Amino acid sequence: MNTLLLLLAGFFLPLFPLSMAFNWLLGRFNNPVVRAALILVWPQIGVLLVLTAGVPLTGSVFLWWGLITAAFYAWRLLTVRELGQWAAMLATSAFALTWVMAADGARAIDLHAFVLGFAVAPALLVAVTTLLERRLGAAYSGLVTGMARDIPRLAGLITVVLLAAMALPISPGFFVMLDLLLESDPAPVIVALLTWLLWSWAGTRLLRDTVFGPRSGKNVADLPVPLAWAFAGVIVAAVVLNLIWTGV
Amino acid sequence: MIKLQWLIPLLPVLSALLVHLLAGRLGRRVAQLSVGMGVITFLVALWQIVVFITSDQGPSWMGIGGNWGSVYLDPLSATMALVVSGFSLIVHIYSVRYMAEEPGYARFFMLLDLMTASILLFVTAGDLITLLIAWHLVSVMMYFLLGQNTESRPGERYAFWTFLTYRIGDLPMVLAAVILFQAYGALDFPTLFDRLMAAPDTEVFGMPAAITAAGLIAVSAFAKSAQFPLHTWLPYTMDGPTPVSALMHAGIVNAGGIIINRFAPAFVNADGVLHLLFVVGLLTAVIGSVLMLTQNDIKKSLGYSTMGQMGFMIMETGVGAFSLAVFHLIAHGMFKATMFLSSGDLIGDARRHDDVPQNPLYTFLVDRKTGKPTRLPWLAIGVVTLVVPLAILLLAHWAVSPDFFQKQGAIVLLFFGWITGVQVLFATHRLDATNPVRMMLMILLSFALIVIGYSIIGHTFETFLYPDAAFREALYHAAGLDAVTFDGLVILLGLIVLVGWIGSYLASREESLFGNRFTELRLTLYSLISRELYIADLYERLSQALLAGSKRINVWMRWR
Repeated sequence: MNTLLLLLAGFFLPLFPLSMAFNWLLGRFNNPVVRAALILVWPQIGVLLVLTAGVPLTGSVFLWWGLITAAFYAWRLLTVRELGQWAAMLATSAFALTWVMAADGARAIDLHAFVLGFAVAPALLVAVTTLLERRLGAAYSGLVTGMARDIPRLAGLITVVLLAAMALPISPGFFVMLDLLLESDPAPVIVALLTWLLWSWAGTRLLRDTVFGPRSGKNVADLPVPLAWAFAGVIVAAVVLNLIWTGV
Repeated sequence: MIKLQWLIPLLPVLSALLVHLLAGRLGRRVAQLSVGMGVITFLVALWQIVVFITSDQGPSWMGIGGNWGSVYLDPLSATMALVVSGFSLIVHIYSVRYMAEEPGYARFFMLLDLMTASILLFVTAGDLITLLIAWHLVSVMMYFLLGQNTESRPGERYAFWTFLTYRIGDLPMVLAAVILFQAYGALDFPTLFDRLMAAPDTEVFGMPAAITAAGLIAVSAFAKSAQFPLHTWLPYTMDGPTPVSALMHAGIVNAGGIIINRFAPAFVNADGVLHLLFVVGLLTAVIGSVLMLTQNDIKKSLGYSTMGQMGFMIMETGVGAFSLAVFHLIAHGMFKATMFLSSGDLIGDARRHDDVPQNPLYTFLVDRKTGKPTRLPWLAIGVVTLVVPLAILLLAHWAVSPDFFQKQGAIVLLFFGWITGVQVLFATHRLDATNPVRMMLMILLSFALIVIGYSIIGHTFETFLYPDAAFREALYHAAGLDAVTFDGLVILLGLIVLVGWIGSYLASREESLFGNRFTELRLTLYSLISRELYIADLYERLSQALLAGSKRINVWMRWR
């Protein structure tokens, strides 16, 4: 029964190939609110299932299954060009790391905070995807390059969100990752670090084909100032709340 | 006093914020705001070091009350904060006019402020988490500063190379922090270092914590300081604006030396890692210098020159001369910053006055034309060349520290100093001069002044950075080898230098030690070196293979 519960949790804290369900589901919905809600809520169900199972995961197959899934999706992320898909695969890779955290015997509240910390960047990416789709019809990297020149506010938002997606300081993802690493054994830590490196590589590839480069593609309107401030407010709130949570 | 330490990283952050918010209203005047904040930051750093030296209170630490977020005031942080804020201020002032015609003027100053803040946070950090945040932020800021011209594809490409190498270097640092935290259960430096020194043999997961952490920190330092084979990014970073090149070559690339000094309590208990530092540093210094000499692109050549200097810096830590590495990085920083920042003026001068100076020094150094054969007797030259530099070096070091010669690391450094002195004299004695004896005396006097000055300043600086004599001794001791190995290596090195000199002498006479027997091998070696040992190409192939694999898997799995 417990193993069945953990397998069921494998759909929510995605374990390959069960992870394909999560990615398929995110691809099915076009509404950004539904997609963002799915990213925020889906892994919390997984955490509840893991906690209900109540099985110690130290050294279990689920720990390594989660790690391999995380690294596998991070590797696949390198060649994804559609921003919505990118957000889904990043979320898959990040949520799979929860198994390591669970194996370290983290408290329930910490596990919920862990997945929430990793969900912030993909959820924001869904919002950015919508902004790009409304302007360009699609949110592919390479469709419009050199955004930094003519649409600086949108380019700035993409940059900040992608930096958060790469779990760089001082985004919530960075502290969540550190929390995971500081409590784990060296072998899982090495795989988690490789995953982290691949996120950085994938993120800079996206930046290269959107924000940087010679200006190409059609001219589009920049982000309105109030909306830019709203996004800035959400990001700052996420950072501040996370800093308070991590105990600065 | 420690409260003021917070201002050092926070003032540039405030400056960046103000520059961003006021750019619309102030236009290009935001640069003056940024420079003004830079002046205040420098003054605070200056005040801190002066008070630290005069108060004689010793290191102090202050946290903001949580698990992390703290600053540390010790000789290393006080020195480096002053150096970094000083370099940053010079670069700020230089950029006001230099960047005036460039797009993204305000963004540049904002990034420059954020980069300064990151480095200052790195040097003043008082705990592992704060240090990791700063260590990562340096990578991020470097990426955006190098990609300042957002429309330049090469600029972005090389910024990406740098970022990825830095990220490769960030991760061992994280792992080292994990090991130190798990072994000693402390995040703040004073507690961590106390526990580390009290129980250096502590094991974590069956591994010796100090040695493993030191090894990982060394790898991290290799990436940040362009050590072989993680050096490929450095020669290609010249596509960024000149002020960024200056800041990078004068400051950021030195991060490796600083982090090794910060974790000296781990390295003093990791003799094997110190030997690794020496080998990697030596290899980098040799390869960097060889690549510098074979490049036909002057910018790449400068990049490889920095790589060679970074090799020397890491090598110095490998022989236990930790403070000398800091002294070296400051001196090299001043030298390189001057070179980069004056390059525009030099190019401008050359365009206005294309005539070359007609003096013997230019003819000798640039045209490589020696003057008339010297009238000094050959034997006298030989004796002066070999004996005098050694005598000056020995006397100067003996004067500042009589027990200096008990340290193997000091012998190695003396050996390098001696070889350098000999080469300087050998290279310059053929310089055309009306009075060769006077010229030789002047050269010797200059050499003596440099050595004496360097010895006194170096020794004073060492006492300041590491006031505990036992700790200084322990560092040299940890870097030592057994007598037979050490003597063998010195003899081997001496023979290599001798063969090099003979080869160089014969080459100047268009002769060779081996005739034409190894011409093909020499040409192969030359082509290998001129293609920078194909290391960048190897990385490119590897990354292409990873990308192709990723794409194939995604197509096969329908992107789910």
